[in-house]
Amino acid sequence: MGFRIFSRDFADRCFTAFSIMSVVLMVCVLVMVLGPMMLHGLKAVFFFGTNEFREMQLAVFGHGDSERIRRENGEIEEARLFVYEAVGRFRRGIDTDHLSDDVRDIYRDYGSYLRDNGVSGERYSTLRARAKVLRDTLQDAFESRDKGTVQRNLQSVLELRDDPDFRGTVIEAYFEKAESYTHVVESVDLSKREQYAKAFDEVQEALSKLFGPRPGELLPALTIDQYGATRWDVVQRELQKLLWIEEWVETEPGQPMVKHRTARKEFFANTDLEPIFDYTEKNLYRLFRPRLTFYWRYFLDESTDGHYFGGCGPEILGTLALTFFSMLFSIPLGIISAAFLVECTSDNIVVRVIRTCINTLAGVPSIVFGLFGMAFFVLFLFPMLGEFGHETLGIFSAETAKNLTKPNILAASFTLGLLVLPVIIRASEEAIRAVPRTYKEAALALGAGQFRTFMTVILPAAAPGIFTGIILSLSRAAGETAPILFTGAIAFGPVPDSILEPTRALSYGSYDIAVGDRLAMLVPHKQYGMVMTLVALVLTLNIIAIWIRSRSSRKLRGI
Amino acid sequence: MIQSQSNELSLSGADASLIPKPTYVQADDTDTMTTESSEAGGIIRSKDFCLFYGRTAGVKNITMDIYARMVTAIIGPSGCGKSTFLRSINRMNDLIPNIRTEGSLTVNGQDVYDRRVNLVNLRQQVGMVFQKPNPFAKSIYDNIAYGPRLQGIHNRSELNSIVEECLNDAFLWDEVKDDLQKSALALSGGQQQRLCIARALATRPRALLMDEPCSALDPIATARIEELIAKLKDRYTIVIVTHNMQQAARVSERTAFFCLGELIEYDQTSRFFTNPSNKQTEDYITGRFG
Amino acid sequence: MQSSRPAEAARFDRPLLLSPGKDLRGYIFNKLGRAFLFLVTFVSVVAVLLIFYFIIREAAGFLAGPYVKQFFTSASWYPESHEHPEFGVLAIVAGTVYVTVLALLIAVPLGLLAAVWLSDIATFKVRQFIKPVIEILAAIPSVAFGFFAVLVMAPWMQTHLGYDTGTNVLNAGIILAVMALPTIISVAEDSLSAVGMEIREAAYGLGSTRAEAMIRVVIPAGHSGIIAAIILGMMRAVGETMVVWMASGNASQIPSPWWDLSQSVRTMTATIAGDMGETVQGSVHYQSLFSIGILLLVFTFGLNLMSEHFLARVRKGKGA
Repeated sequence: MGFRIFSRDFADRCFTAFSIMSVVLMVCVLVMVLGPMMLHGLKAVFFFGTNEFREMQLAVFGHGDSERIRRENGEIEEARLFVYEAVGRFRRGIDTDHLSDDVRDIYRDYGSYLRDNGVSGERYSTLRARAKVLRDTLQDAFESRDKGTVQRNLQSVLELRDDPDFRGTVIEAYFEKAESYTHVVESVDLSKREQYAKAFDEVQEALSKLFGPRPGELLPALTIDQYGATRWDVVQRELQKLLWIEEWVETEPGQPMVKHRTARKEFFANTDLEPIFDYTEKNLYRLFRPRLTFYWRYFLDESTDGHYFGGCGPEILGTLALTFFSMLFSIPLGIISAAFLVECTSDNIVVRVIRTCINTLAGVPSIVFGLFGMAFFVLFLFPMLGEFGHETLGIFSAETAKNLTKPNILAASFTLGLLVLPVIIRASEEAIRAVPRTYKEAALALGAGQFRTFMTVILPAAAPGIFTGIILSLSRAAGETAPILFTGAIAFGPVPDSILEPTRALSYGSYDIAVGDRLAMLVPHKQYGMVMTLVALVLTLNIIAIWIRSRSSRKLRGI
Repeated sequence: MIQSQSNELSLSGADASLIPKPTYVQADDTDTMTTESSEAGGIIRSKDFCLFYGRTAGVKNITMDIYARMVTAIIGPSGCGKSTFLRSINRMNDLIPNIRTEGSLTVNGQDVYDRRVNLVNLRQQVGMVFQKPNPFAKSIYDNIAYGPRLQGIHNRSELNSIVEECLNDAFLWDEVKDDLQKSALALSGGQQQRLCIARALATRPRALLMDEPCSALDPIATARIEELIAKLKDRYTIVIVTHNMQQAARVSERTAFFCLGELIEYDQTSRFFTNPSNKQTEDYITGRFG
Repeated sequence: MQSSRPAEAARFDRPLLLSPGKDLRGYIFNKLGRAFLFLVTFVSVVAVLLIFYFIIREAAGFLAGPYVKQFFTSASWYPESHEHPEFGVLAIVAGTVYVTVLALLIAVPLGLLAAVWLSDIATFKVRQFIKPVIEILAAIPSVAFGFFAVLVMAPWMQTHLGYDTGTNVLNAGIILAVMALPTIISVAEDSLSAVGMEIREAAYGLGSTRAEAMIRVVIPAGHSGIIAAIILGMMRAVGETMVVWMASGNASQIPSPWWDLSQSVRTMTATIAGDMGETVQGSVHYQSLFSIGILLLVFTFGLNLMSEHFLARVRKGKGA
């Protein structure tokens, strides 16, 4: 008997524990989902921005104190000079292809120089031949890996330095090159040149990720490549890439590969490049001037390709537009329907059909709304109206009629409006029903008509409830993606000029930035930033709704 | 405006002070008034009036005259149709689906169940006070001003004077004059009910229907409402439904007894309570049933 | 106006009858107003009819075409193949079934326990805190859940569970379960609360522990509402698009062995969302997507009618 009581008690405790656990689990899930989203997302707005960031903002979006940025940029360029010079020196030793190209170019220039100066015939051929010898000797020197050969060749070139034929011509550059290469050869291990060349490319890439294009270099075509590391965290990341060589090495056959790190400094030991690693690491602050940035313009700015730079202004604008127009359509419809259902009818067959339809509408999957929106609004109704308006009535321009045949904001808004209509109807109906009957009686007894009673007494009393429902459906409309996929949302594109053009939206943008967009993978803070904006928008609306509801319930109790 | 009616106000004030606390109405007084009114005929007359909810009858064959400027009390056990009858007078029963009436119920000679009845005018002139105080969730001022505004009075000073006058009539002015913009829901139950009476007065009704106005109130609040009824009765025709026989005896000149939807007895209050002609009535007022 | 008051008080000076003109006007306005309100309300009905009509219209060519038999019997979905396009929807339906069932397996026990906790165990204050939490969970947009599935859950699964792909049945099922939880909890809690104190008191009075009272008495008494809660949660899971599109991997296959949840599947909603961008309007592929839309529509419509039936029973039970 005692055991039986014990086991029953134990089962009861387990039951309670499980139910508490399920709730705790739910709260944990909420924190786990929202936490990282908000934390990473905030990084899009709060971060340490480098001067590169400020330059980019100034150049791309036109915000910022140009005077200060230029001044700081000057100081930074000065600090970077050391790196650039070392790189330049090293390149001259390594990048012999580059040198050979130069030599060839100079030879060609020399030819045209001679022609321009009226040299022709025999003399032309002679000079050309001599220059050609120089060219070939130099090229041999650049391509050779044997120190002796190189020095011999360079020497033979330099012997002709004082030759009057070449003085004052472009050929003089040959001698300069020969001279500097003589220095290079002394410090660089030529046999490692191939290896260096590859590693040097990586260094240069890392440097351009850090510092952006070198001063004087042609500006790259893509905005992404025009600026270095704009954020301190990116600086750190790219610095690691600069300082360390990472390789996946197979230690034993069949075993997973192991990540192997070696310092570049050691790799480039005893070369011109060696000091830049320590220099960069030690002077990181001077090289970038990071400052804590509150990038509030994130919520306003347009973005560059793949959301690499910039903000999500157009997405927010699009979401607001979609939500606004869908509400414009569904709020009046919803409240009037609710009023009809509560005030004007009893429970007859027509009302039951209407109710079933509203419930059905609420249960239709959102993607089916998307299909319907496309089939009905985009492909059927709007083109028909457009044609009618253009050809028969002449009130639409040809362009409007054409826009009407494509996905656009209006079609997406109508689709979203239909989606939230049942939500608004139900919330409003509940709110109107919750108004005490005595209110209605009081108003009628004071001689108000049915319409007056509804407008002056019932609607104001139901307003908080209706408002709550509206805000909740607002947040639903703002967060839905599937219905606007085919009816008016795009991933890229200009900010729309009218509601007859498609728009970007936060919800679709969040999808695209998470899966569709390769470039965005490089900037996780932008991915999270977009979805944080969406979630923050939706949750703010919800919290407002919860607040209004609790306040109005207090108010009804007369507090 | 207030000047011009100070006379009347003081008169009514004097009346009120003449009746310091609700007492049984003196017999001779009632007699004279009754005869007067009887000669004029009832202002509200019901003849064989029946009201059905679907198939069940709410009230059956009510024939009674309610006289002007007099308090008529309707008493009876729960569910006897007294409220139903009261609500029929200004057609508040219309809110209930599937109702049907027979017989006639006239107000000022007009059958109120005529299809062409102007419900707005009817309800404005036959005001109603409900069982539970039901002020709107608006300010005290807006509650009172609701009726006048419906009648198209939007002039601020005119509204102000109406509000003050009605609150004065309802003995509420002194308690709330400093916070007229406060929510009416913040008032106490008794204050709310007086506010509802004031609100009903503001539409300038000719008759006032009171559906158990004190049932949700404590004795002190009840006393104030009764005081108020005594003050109002010489200006309004008042019909009050009540559970409370003492209250009926205290405030009314005539009393009707309803049972199971039928009018059992209707007489002058003094005679009704001292010398009922019907056995059922006697059982009821002596507490043998109900 | 005011001064005319006391002496004439009892006289009715405003006409109790409407003038004929006013009467007619009132009548017309009343009828017109009602007609207007009715028409506006009828928009919902029209919308439902239009949805059914247009989805069926766009799908009609396919349903009358040569691929119908294959549609319902084959499991291979290769709509864009040039030589032999195949339109077998079974694998896709299986995908929906997989993620939905998994989601319900997780969400129903959790949701019921949480509902029990909310209705019977939690103190008022804690409940005031938890209810908004549930609402917020319900309010998070589905695309945000999908984002979480792709960027947080999938990498985690790959590194910690060693799955080949992070976007799989398990991932989609878990996220869908989280999304279905709020619906299940709130509907189930409503129905448990509707059971009423008397029945609980009776059970406790006979010496039941709380677990026994809940499991043997209260939950059986509220079973209609709980079934409705499960159906509504199921509708949410079946109809959800973004999460499954992002988290399920989009491979139209039936996992084999069938219990391997680490494999990718493809659901009906995700197929529509993913393929529609690549189709030509009016092509067989386009029409086949609308046919999937019909399947979804019919399925949710049926579930909806069922849930309404059960909810109506809850409401009736409450009234009695």
